Amino acid sequence: MTSPAELLALAPLALVAGLAMLVIVVDMIRPGRDSLVTAVAVIGLVAAIVVTALVWTTGTRELFDGAYVRDDLTNFLDLLFLSIALLTILFSPDYLRPRALPMAEFASTLLFAISGAMLLGASRDLLVLFLGLELLVLPGYMLAGFAKRDGFSTEGAIKYFLLGSFSSAILLFGLALTWGYTGSTRVTDVASYLEGVVAGNQALSPALVMGLALLTTGAAFKIAAVPFHYWTPDAYQGSPTPVTGYLSVGPKVAAFALILRLFVEALSPLKGDWVAIVVVLAALTMTLGNLVALTQDNIKRMLAYSSIAHTGYILVGLAAFAASPRGSEAERAGLFGLLFYSLAYAFMNLGAFGVVAALQRRPGVTSQISSFSGLGRRALGPALLMTLFLLSLTGIPPLAGFFAKAYVILPALQAGGVWLPLLAVIAVLNAAAAAFYYLRVIIVMFVQDPPENAAGVSTGRAMGVGLAATAILTIVIGVVPTFVDITQRAANALLAPL
Amino acid sequence: MLSALLFCVGSFGFLARRNAIAMLMSIELMLNAVNLAIVAFGAFVPALQNRASIIALTVMAVAAAEATVGLAIVIAIYRNRRTPLVDEYASMRE
Repeated sequence: MTSPAELLALAPLALVAGLAMLVIVVDMIRPGRDSLVTAVAVIGLVAAIVVTALVWTTGTRELFDGAYVRDDLTNFLDLLFLSIALLTILFSPDYLRPRALPMAEFASTLLFAISGAMLLGASRDLLVLFLGLELLVLPGYMLAGFAKRDGFSTEGAIKYFLLGSFSSAILLFGLALTWGYTGSTRVTDVASYLEGVVAGNQALSPALVMGLALLTTGAAFKIAAVPFHYWTPDAYQGSPTPVTGYLSVGPKVAAFALILRLFVEALSPLKGDWVAIVVVLAALTMTLGNLVALTQDNIKRMLAYSSIAHTGYILVGLAAFAASPRGSEAERAGLFGLLFYSLAYAFMNLGAFGVVAALQRRPGVTSQISSFSGLGRRALGPALLMTLFLLSLTGIPPLAGFFAKAYVILPALQAGGVWLPLLAVIAVLNAAAAAFYYLRVIIVMFVQDPPENAAGVSTGRAMGVGLAATAILTIVIGVVPTFVDITQRAANALLAPL
Repeated sequence: MLSALLFCVGSFGFLARRNAIAMLMSIELMLNAVNLAIVAFGAFVPALQNRASIIALTVMAVAAAEATVGLAIVIAIYRNRRTPLVDEYASMRE
């Protein structure tokens, strides 16, 4: 039976799901009051963040016979997901209102998606993982097609949906085979079964190998690793800009949470077997993402390819974990790098999309890079913020992006062997190549003359608060040790014996 | 065995068909293949017997939700484009 203390561990998740419904109810009672809806959602999310921080002090707890766990990693991910939702909601009114898109449905769908992400981050059961994943992606498809009268938005949505559910089916078949051959859906039991197989030097049954291959493919689709990335640029370009910001961080971090729970916890006994795949995926993803981003004229599409490249950097952390011997320092450092990169990437990327959304407050502003020309003279504030986020994405010290890159590349060097240091070199070269297209936007903003009819940029209050918050976080994450501490604790929780 | 075959038919259908509705049906076929595999595991492996039906039911519920969202998106794009053929959804390529 669940005791009150156990229910407390569920509180953040329940709060967000409840808030999603509350938003709809508020909109039913007072239709069309967008600012009221925004206020309710923001207050609710802040409350959920406070509750999560309080629950964190109560320590690790397992619920439902070990299917749901609230450890340091869960709390870390919950705080990250809640912040992502909060910032997305702050960014959205300025974009949605001029286009007459409903705020309440947007907030509610987003909150349901976030509750899925939180369930995903906390589950130690294959079936619950799958449920969390679907709860995350189904509202995601709806958000991508949110501007349903807009041909681009629906086109992005259908591509996202078709490839997303295709990959979900692949992942599910992998989960079914894993369950059938290991005899349990619990992550702990799967891990101990595989432990036994590895210790006894037995061969894995071919069907189980097939299942694991399907799991890898499904997960690679979800994080948009090359060559499974085709849906990303279209889905990102077509979606309404605040949604693009959310899609580029929320589902991506959640998919890495899935990888952490599935590959790091359940399949770590086999990590010697899947490290090669991760190394290849990481190298391909970084290089192709950056090369294609160089040629883009559309800022949303460029940021989409750059987000693919960032997936590659995060995978370097995973590769460092998988390549190092068990219990070594490099193993822990790799996971820490992965988590810290996700944290830093979430805020700087959201910030960049936030500025794009601010520019598009007036309908008709396209997302071509040329619409940024002369922004430095028209609106200094947004231009400086955009510069900050782009420099951080490039990896200029002392911004968050620099520390994030350092924390994934150093463990890859420590891990030893031939391939991992090579991967680190590829990562560094890629970071240098990426600087070209980030700096190009900055040059367009400050050097080119603004077009004749260009108007200034005005931002709403919510947008201002959101941009300020992301900017401050982008600066302090790398410098203030609190962030490093909580990330360390999350990484340690993953390596603790199950 | 049959489930693996059905899964392959589903994924081939997804990759080969160019009609959004047919692709949606192929995805459903893949999910049903998974269900068949789950039920087969339950029937032939005694240790898995009491879990299989629960998992299969959960998968069915998720598949239904997915079909709902998918059809809604297909209808939305059909209203904009007047065609269900995915090859013609290429206005963003460059």
